[in-house]
Formats: sequence, structure tokens, C-alpha cells
Amino acid sequence: MSARLDGVEFDSSKGSRSASRVSAGRRLYGVLQNHPGVILSPLSFVLLLVLWELVGRAGLVAPIVLPPPSRVWDGLVILFTAPWFPQHVWFTAAETLIGFAIGGVAAILLGIVMVNVPLFKEVVYPYVVAFQVMPKVVLAPIFITWFGFGIESKIVMAIAISFFPVVINTVVGLESVEEDASLLMRSLVASRRQIFWKLAWPTALPSIFAGLKTSLTLALIGALVAEFVTAKEGLGTLITTFSFELKVYLVFAVIIVVSVLGLAMYGIMEYLDRKVVFWRRSHFTG
Amino acid sequence: MLRTEVRNRASGGDARTGAIEVENVSKVFRTRLGAVAVEALRDVSVDILPGQFVSFVGPSGCGKSTLLKLIGGLIEPTSGRLTVGGLDVGGPRRDIGVMFQTPVLFPWRTVLENVLLPIEVFGLDRRIAIEKTRDILRLVGLEDRAGAYPRELSGGMQQRAALSRVLVIDPPIILMDEPFGALDEFTRERMNLELLRIWQEHGQTIIFVTHSIVEAVFLADRVVVMGTAPGRVLSIVDVPLPRPRSIELMKSPEFAATVFDVREYLGVAR
Repeated sequence: MSARLDGVEFDSSKGSRSASRVSAGRRLYGVLQNHPGVILSPLSFVLLLVLWELVGRAGLVAPIVLPPPSRVWDGLVILFTAPWFPQHVWFTAAETLIGFAIGGVAAILLGIVMVNVPLFKEVVYPYVVAFQVMPKVVLAPIFITWFGFGIESKIVMAIAISFFPVVINTVVGLESVEEDASLLMRSLVASRRQIFWKLAWPTALPSIFAGLKTSLTLALIGALVAEFVTAKEGLGTLITTFSFELKVYLVFAVIIVVSVLGLAMYGIMEYLDRKVVFWRRSHFTG
Repeated sequence: MLRTEVRNRASGGDARTGAIEVENVSKVFRTRLGAVAVEALRDVSVDILPGQFVSFVGPSGCGKSTLLKLIGGLIEPTSGRLTVGGLDVGGPRRDIGVMFQTPVLFPWRTVLENVLLPIEVFGLDRRIAIEKTRDILRLVGLEDRAGAYPRELSGGMQQRAALSRVLVIDPPIILMDEPFGALDEFTRERMNLELLRIWQEHGQTIIFVTHSIVEAVFLADRVVVMGTAPGRVLSIVDVPLPRPRSIELMKSPEFAATVFDVREYLGVAR
């Protein structure tokens, strides 16, 4: 006797092992039927690539404007076989991560001080908001002037751009402690330190992590923009250099590398978020 | 000023610290500029004996929660005197357990860890407390959910965990601010019975704030009936019902009469 429920087959007459073997194919079919996006989304990507390739081959668009995927692939191969390439990746990654780490830690500390010293917060908060609203990329040329062409100016740019979202999220997170929760801690005659570590800090963590995730992506943008302005090394430098040389297929290849780098960083943060803030409600939607 | 003679219903507990005296207490909340915003309580006096179960009942805004916070030392009175166990209330005390309408369980802690929170805050040895905590969880029927996180529990189970967190510190006084107000009727009744069972075993002084007249009468030795604008005590009604109490008690004419009494006092306020 077998019954189908939601694309999953239950077979009570056979052993469970054979049942799962038999139903594997049907289960896949069921998944596709219930979630067509699983197949349609990658399929659309493949179609897009094919279309893009055909447009290039048919000569509808000059390869110097839009190199076909095959050409971009060549570019990727060139990059990954070139001995000079890894250090550029490393350079940009280092700028981003160092800037993010310094900016993130400093931002969390500033947020903590702001919440605990109301007068300080009252004075500083308007500046934080003003800087948050300002497009930080305008600072890139000044940072180059101040800190030179090397890695320092890029790190400073990454710090500047990743700093403010974390400050604001730290403040918002620490202030989201519920009234009853702080009453509970007060009724236990908890010390300020205990109230912070046992209540406020864990309460703020989901918000802080949300800020950190945004910040890491921004730090990468900051590092790249600073490299665009002036730099000797880094993926941003490669993009500007190849653009000047009209090697557009290499520019596209670097863009892909940058995207993958950003995606990897975001993935690591997302993983840490799920591990550290395991109680966050949105994680339990499944 | 209302002051009712009180029958001694003390059933164990810490007689020295379990008594509560509220004398002519007023509480005014002011705006930042000092203007009177709300007169939360005016000239309230209540005496509570050790081991008594007392309900505060009244409509929203009658100051019953404010009075609870005053007794717990969580806020200061504008005027009047409060003593707990003969000592002036000068801030929160560790021998008073407080329960809120929401369970206030920390979502990053398991049930066991939540219940151990006061032990940690007091700087006591967790290892010694763990055995006791397990006993308490057994008492409230949560022994197999010790490792669960709050989000995995129903509303009733969450309040049981919150009650365990109060019981773990053995407080001679427990202040409860509408603890079962957010629960459904069936769960609430069951929680009421369990609370009575635990109280009868341990004999704490319990102050129970509720806006349900039936709940107030069913649980308490005395019902402090409160009214609004300003928050004040309208009457203190003795509940002449035997203990231990069961749900059948609600059928009795005495129960109905007491509920009606309380309701009448509340009606006067309107």
C-alpha cells in the first residue's frame, strides 16, 4: 500500500530502505512540481548566457562593448593562471577584512558607550546620523591625500564606510531591551555589568549582526572605490587598468571575481550569524 | 483611608520577612518638566500578613501594577510608607520574587538556564542549584523540557518556567503582575490550581494582580478592590472560602456571593 502526500511517497508494504530508493525519483519530481523556481531560476541563467553568446557571435554587439561569455571565460582562465593575480585578490580581501574588523569593533564600542552615557549619545548621535546619510565614497580622494597610495588609505575607506551601520544597529539593539526584562534584572538586584552581559548584549546581538552583514559588503565597496581612485594593487586597480586598455573581457572576469569574493564574505557572515544568534526568530521560519 | 482587620492565615513561610505594610502611599508620575502626568495612586493603605494570598483587582489604570512595583522596590512612592518584613522598602530585594504578564524568558537560554538566571545573578554555585532547579521543574511539570528553548514552549509552559525562576530563589514573598492574563481560559485555570498547590506547600506571601474578578476571588484570602482616576483602594474583601480549593468551588453560593461583592465595589467606582 502506498500513498502520496505532498510529493513525498510513503510506502508501508516495503522496507523503508527500498521505499526511499523507489521514491527518490518521484520525490525529485514532486519537489520540482511544488517549487518550479528550483529549476526555472538556473535554467533562465543558462538561457541568458546562451542568448548573450549568440548576440556576440552574430556580431550584433561589438565584443569590446559586451564580450560574449566564452570570451569572459577566457579572461577568467588568464587571471587564474597569471602569477600576479592572487596578490591582487589578497590585497583587496585584506583591505576589506582589516577595515571591517577595525570599523566593526570600534562601532560596537562606540554604540555601547553611547547607550550607557546618555549625554554623550545626545551630543554624538546627530553626527553619526549625518555621516550615515553622507555617501562616504566622496571621502576616498581625501583619504588618499591623507594616508597615501598604499593599503592604509583603502583600509581607512573601508573603516569609514562600514562603521556607521554598526554604530546605529548597536544602539538600536541595546535599546530594544524590553521593559519587563530590565525590571526582572532590577528585581534580582543585578549589577550594571550583569544587566549588560546577561541581558542587553544578547538582546542586541541580532541587530548588531544585521549591521555587521551590511557593513562587510560596504567595506568591500569602500576598498574598491579607494582603489579606483589610486592604487598600485588590488582588484579595483585591475578593473581600472583593464578598462583603460580596453580589455573589457578581463574587466568582466574581475567583476565576477569581485562578486564571488563578496558572496563568500557574506556567506561566512551569514553562517556566523546563524551560529551565534541561533535564537533569532527569522531563522525558524521552516 | 481604608484599613481592614486581618485574620491570621499565615501558613508557614518566613514570618519575619513575609509581612507587608502599605501606609498612606501615593504615587504621582510627572512629566520631564515636573507637571503632574498621572496620579497613579492616592493614599493607599493595605496590610498583608505573612503567608497570605492577596489579589489586587481593578480596571486598567487603577494603579494595581504600580502598587506591586512599589512593594517590590522597583519604583519609589511620592509619599507614604512601605515596609516589607518590618523594614522600609528602599529598593529591590532579593527575597522578593517577581512575575510579569509576559514570561520574560531569555530566548538564548534553555528553560534550565533561564531558571538558573537568579542563581547566577546572586553569584551562587550553579552546580548546587541544579538539583534544586530540577526538583522545581518537576513541581511545575516541566522536567522533560529543561533543555528546550522558550520558543519551543507553549504560553502556559513559558509561564511555568517563569514561575520556576521565581521559586528557585525561595522567596518568602512573590509579586505576580497578571501572570496568566495572556493565557487561554483553560490554561489559566490549570495554572491557578497549580499555583495554589505550590503556595499551600511553601506558604509564601503572594500578591496577585489581575483584572479577572473570578480569578482574584478563586485564589485569594483577601481581594483588594481598586478604582481609577486616581488609583485608589475601594475596598478590601475577605474571601470566606475553605482551602484547599478546587474548580467545583466556583459552583458554591459563597463563591458567587464574594464575586458579586467585589463586582459591586467595582461598580461603585463607575
